[in-house]
Amino acid sequence: MITKWWASEEVWRKIAVWVTAGMLLVLMGLTFDTIPKISVGSERVPAYSIINQRIDYVFDEKRNFQVPVFGGEQPLFGKMLSEEEAEALVTWGKKITQGRNCINCHTLLGNGAYFAPDLTKAWLDPNWVDSDLREGLMINFLMDPPNNSMNSSGRKMPNMDISEEEAKAIIAFLKWMSSIDTNGFPYNFKPVEQEG
Amino acid sequence: MNNGVLDSNNLNGGQKLAVKYFSVAVILFVAQILFGLVTALQYIIPELFFEVLDFSVARTVHINALVIWLLFGFMGAVYWLLEDEAGVETVGLKLGNLAFWVFTLAVTIVVLVYLFVQVGPGDDTTRWLINEGREYIEAPRWADIGIVICILVFFYNAAATFMKGSWSGISGVLILDLVALAGLYLAGMFYTTNISVDQFWWWWVIHLWVEATWEVLVGCIMAWGLIKLLGVRRQIVTTWLYIEVALMFGSGILGLGHHYFWIGTPEYWFTIGGFFSALEPIPLVAMVVHALYDSGVHKFKAANHPAMAWLIAHTFGNFFGAGVFGFMHTLPQINLYTHGTQWSASHGHLSFFGAYATIVIAVFYIAVQQWRGGVWMSGDLPGNGWKWKWSLALLNIGVLGMTMAMLVAGYEQSFIERAIEGSTWSGYFAAQMHPWFIQGMNWRMVFGIVTAAGTVLLVWDLLTIGKGEKRTRQEVS
Amino acid sequence: MIDPVEMQNFFMAFFSGAMVIMLGALYALLLAWGRIKSSPAFVVAAYITYVLLTVFVLVLADTMNFEGFWNLITAVMLVGYLLAPHGIWILSRDTHTHEQEPSSIQS
Repeated sequence: MITKWWASEEVWRKIAVWVTAGMLLVLMGLTFDTIPKISVGSERVPAYSIINQRIDYVFDEKRNFQVPVFGGEQPLFGKMLSEEEAEALVTWGKKITQGRNCINCHTLLGNGAYFAPDLTKAWLDPNWVDSDLREGLMINFLMDPPNNSMNSSGRKMPNMDISEEEAKAIIAFLKWMSSIDTNGFPYNFKPVEQEG
Repeated sequence: MNNGVLDSNNLNGGQKLAVKYFSVAVILFVAQILFGLVTALQYIIPELFFEVLDFSVARTVHINALVIWLLFGFMGAVYWLLEDEAGVETVGLKLGNLAFWVFTLAVTIVVLVYLFVQVGPGDDTTRWLINEGREYIEAPRWADIGIVICILVFFYNAAATFMKGSWSGISGVLILDLVALAGLYLAGMFYTTNISVDQFWWWWVIHLWVEATWEVLVGCIMAWGLIKLLGVRRQIVTTWLYIEVALMFGSGILGLGHHYFWIGTPEYWFTIGGFFSALEPIPLVAMVVHALYDSGVHKFKAANHPAMAWLIAHTFGNFFGAGVFGFMHTLPQINLYTHGTQWSASHGHLSFFGAYATIVIAVFYIAVQQWRGGVWMSGDLPGNGWKWKWSLALLNIGVLGMTMAMLVAGYEQSFIERAIEGSTWSGYFAAQMHPWFIQGMNWRMVFGIVTAAGTVLLVWDLLTIGKGEKRTRQEVS
Repeated sequence: MIDPVEMQNFFMAFFSGAMVIMLGALYALLLAWGRIKSSPAFVVAAYITYVLLTVFVLVLADTMNFEGFWNLITAVMLVGYLLAPHGIWILSRDTHTHEQEPSSIQS
């Protein structure tokens, strides 16, 4: 019996090759479109110096979820940073989070492990009471998590030997991360009270 | 032929190397289970090994052992079928052997560093020598480079052997897939402070490995397995392999979009991710129907019953774990609540086991059969084959039970933590202390122990099945 | 543009998603089995399964608040999941046509 064309090995080999090539091409096109849109300094991923400003997370009627909104000056640790200084600090902060393997307990942008809270909007968490106390509380927590435990589940963050300078860099990274437009993730979030 | 005893004279050159890979794979599989038990217990007893072997450390080993044992299983499987498929002796086997020892040594060092050094300061040395701190690809950069070199040697062995011998549809797909597999790994080998760009490329490695190139790799193993175990004609499996490649890459490559909802990427990824996620189950359904069709045509007469059973488990596991459990929380309207909860863990456990662990175990059985001299492994095994049957049952029940337990916990989390409490830290802990979550974690522990019992039995069976067997393997046509 | 699922619809959103995929597979299996055995009963059962699948696709679309582009996904699921099992069956059958006559067309 002659094989019908739609069941022939030859035809499917061609389809497999063309489909794969086609999809890869589309993916490459989309990648070229997406990368500039998520580069630092773009609308969705702000420049590192955004840590000099106040960051909010506000419901947007048109997009139907919360989006980051930037206000006036709110320098981190009371010091305005240049673009280069901000980048250096955030970079150090991110490298520390990688070196301490944070992502194998926490999630960042929702990816990671599920043993500890998500850090996407950690800078805006109501846990830090208000914008006046926030920086101090965060430093204290990072430098000695077991003794500043903030939950009654019995689960504690281990002491990761984080110095004060390292804590500040981590906080810079967290503040910058909270400025990224994540299409409304986390949803229904209730941000910390900030003055003004 | 030396029937009934493990004798390397029963193996060809590539197969001798394959069983080395398999042996390390089994050890890493056991390690994965052990560290999984530790992490499961830490959910119940948070003080366990506090500041000695913290959750982050145990979990790093748990997921890295998983990736590496599956990779070793795949590499072993390719060395196993290489000479058979190409019709000539493996080219560059000495180099392949060397690469195996280098790779194994590297993995050992990496794991010891994870366990005893654990973390480092926020500088480049940490990422080069200790831990890269990115999920699944935690391996420090030196090890990344080592892995790429070993994979290149592996690729050389396979490609050169096929070039010297003969090509087939299976080997053609396999070689192209290995190129993609090695190439994609490079997407995870750079540092950037921009976490959106970081995760964008990170998903190329993670998604395009597990949902595209790994699926096609196991498709090749499956195709070869159907020829060997059932005697299906080559032309049929090759045609089906092409069909699966077309469907798998056709839906899976842009299925990547369902990971680009919340990492800073533009909103158009909602539609791309949603659309292709709806297509992704189709190849899995096709595989279930086709596998049963073939088994039916051949009247379920197989040369190796344990392997055949694990292949069937693979088609169903792939369908349920990746298909059903993937689709039910993948659309952005619901993923907004489930992303980064125990839902993901639930889906992850069932799909990694269902899609990959099962088929590697099937290959272990095929290997053991030949290693013992091509002995009988169909029906009427001593003790009615209770060991393989029970380990199959315990492993499947164990993983399915863990999956369901985590599903309940994740469901509760999406309610309490996400919908009601609004994803804050206090919301997170409120959800972690909810009775549903606590019970979910308790049941996960119970089924984790069932899984561990199944693993012990599996290892025992692999070491003993076919021992002293004098009958030769069932003929299939 | 998405409209997230409301809390009271969580269960149905997950459940209908899972049912769509499982019924899709069941439909494909029943159809293939009915054709192999030339059993109209199984083919009828297959189509009943598809009707159920339709219901769950609509429930899914409703609980997920599909609108605009997302209606296209509903349509693709309804049509695609109706036709795909036929395609799978036809391919299973037609790729095995020379299974019965060995040697003659060996590749």
